[in-house]
Amino acid sequence: MTRRMWMALISLLGLFLGAYLTLYKFGKIGTLACGVSSCEQVQTSRWSVFLGLPVATWGLGFYALMLALSLLGMQERYAESRGLSLGMLLLAGWGALFTAWLNYLEAFVIHAWCEWCLFSAAMVLILFILALVDWRETRVAG
Amino acid sequence: MAKKRVESGRGRKAGSVKSAKQPTNRAFYLVVALIAIVGIGALGYLTSRPKQTQTVAYDPTLPKVESQGYVMGSPSAPIEVTEFGDFECPQCGRFATLTEPDVRARLVNTGVIRWRYIDFPLEMHRNTWNASIAAACADEQGKFWEMHDAIYNAQDQWDGEATSNPDKVLKRIGEPIVPDKAKFDACIDEQRTKPKVQAHWQLATSRNLPGTPTFLIGDQQISEFLSYDDLKRIVDQKLAQMKASPAAPSADSAKGVKTPGE
Repeated sequence: MTRRMWMALISLLGLFLGAYLTLYKFGKIGTLACGVSSCEQVQTSRWSVFLGLPVATWGLGFYALMLALSLLGMQERYAESRGLSLGMLLLAGWGALFTAWLNYLEAFVIHAWCEWCLFSAAMVLILFILALVDWRETRVAG
Repeated sequence: MAKKRVESGRGRKAGSVKSAKQPTNRAFYLVVALIAIVGIGALGYLTSRPKQTQTVAYDPTLPKVESQGYVMGSPSAPIEVTEFGDFECPQCGRFATLTEPDVRARLVNTGVIRWRYIDFPLEMHRNTWNASIAAACADEQGKFWEMHDAIYNAQDQWDGEATSNPDKVLKRIGEPIVPDKAKFDACIDEQRTKPKVQAHWQLATSRNLPGTPTFLIGDQQISEFLSYDDLKRIVDQKLAQMKASPAAPSADSAKGVKTPGE
C-alpha cells in the first residue's frame, strides 16, 4: 500500500462518516449511534451549522475532494505532480485547522464530545501528516 | 528518497516496478469497492429502516410518579403522559417549541391526555439546575407552564454556551410572567425550590432513564424526540388497547389520579 492509497482509504471512510452525519442532520436517520459521549448535543448545537450548511456536509465535501485527489495521485501521470501534492496538503491543512476549531468548541464552549467528530478529527490529522510527508518528498524528488 | 518512492510503487521510471504494482492496485481497488459496498449498504439500511418509534415497557414495580412534577390537563383524562425533561437539552427544547403546542391544543385541552412534566437536570448541562429552580419559583406564583415555555424558547440565551450567569437571564425571562417579581427574584437567589428539583431529579435517576426527553405513555417508555404524529399514534394505540380490554387498562388509568399537581 502506498501513501496515497492510505489517503484514499481514509478519505473513503471519512466520506461515509460525513454522509452518515449529514443524513442525520437532515432528519433521514432517526437517532445517532453514540455510545459514551454526547453526539446529539453537539450535532444539534448552534455550532453544527457553518455558512448555512451542516458542518457534517462540509466534512463530506472535504473527504470527497480528498478522495478524488488521492485517487488522481495514484495515476502514473500525477505520481510526481508537485501541484497535486501541494493541493492535497493545502486541503488537508485547511481540514486540520477547521477540525481543531470544532474540537475547541466541543471542549470549551459546548462542553460535550461527539465520538464521531473525534474519529473524524483523528482521520483528518492522519491525512494532514500523510499529505505533509507526500509534499516534502515530491519537493525533494522534483 | 526518490529511490524509495520508486520502490514503493509510484515511480514512473522503472518498468519493473510498474508490473509489480499491478496486483497491489487490484487489491487496493478491491478493498475500496468492498468498503464502498458496505458503506452504501449501511447508509441505505439506516435511511430505509422503518421510523417506528421505539417504545419499551418499563418495570411495573417502579414507584408511581403521580404525586410529583407539574400537571396540565383534566384529572379525568384517560391517559397520562409524563415527560422527564431537561431545560438545557436541545431535543427537549425542540419538543417544547415544535411539538408541545400541538399536543396541548389537540390532546390536553380536549381531555384526551393529561400532561406531567418532571425535571431531570442532567449533569452535562451547566445551567440546567438554575432553569429548573427558576421554573419552580414561577410555579410558586402559579406560572410554571408560562415559565416552562419561556425558558425553552430562550434556551440559547441562558444555556451553558451563552452565559455563566444564568440567573440574571432567567430573572429577566420571568419578569413579564410572574406577578410578584421581588418574590421570584428572591426565590431564585435563595434557591428556595432546589429541594423540589432535587426530588424530581432523584425520581428520574431512580428509574435509570437513558436520557432526555423520556416520555412515559401508559405503561410504555420512549426516550427520543417525538413529533406530534409520533405521540398521537402511541396515544391512539393506548386508547385502542384500553377499549379492547377494559378489564386490564393501562398502568395510569388503573391507578387513578387524585389531585393534579404537587
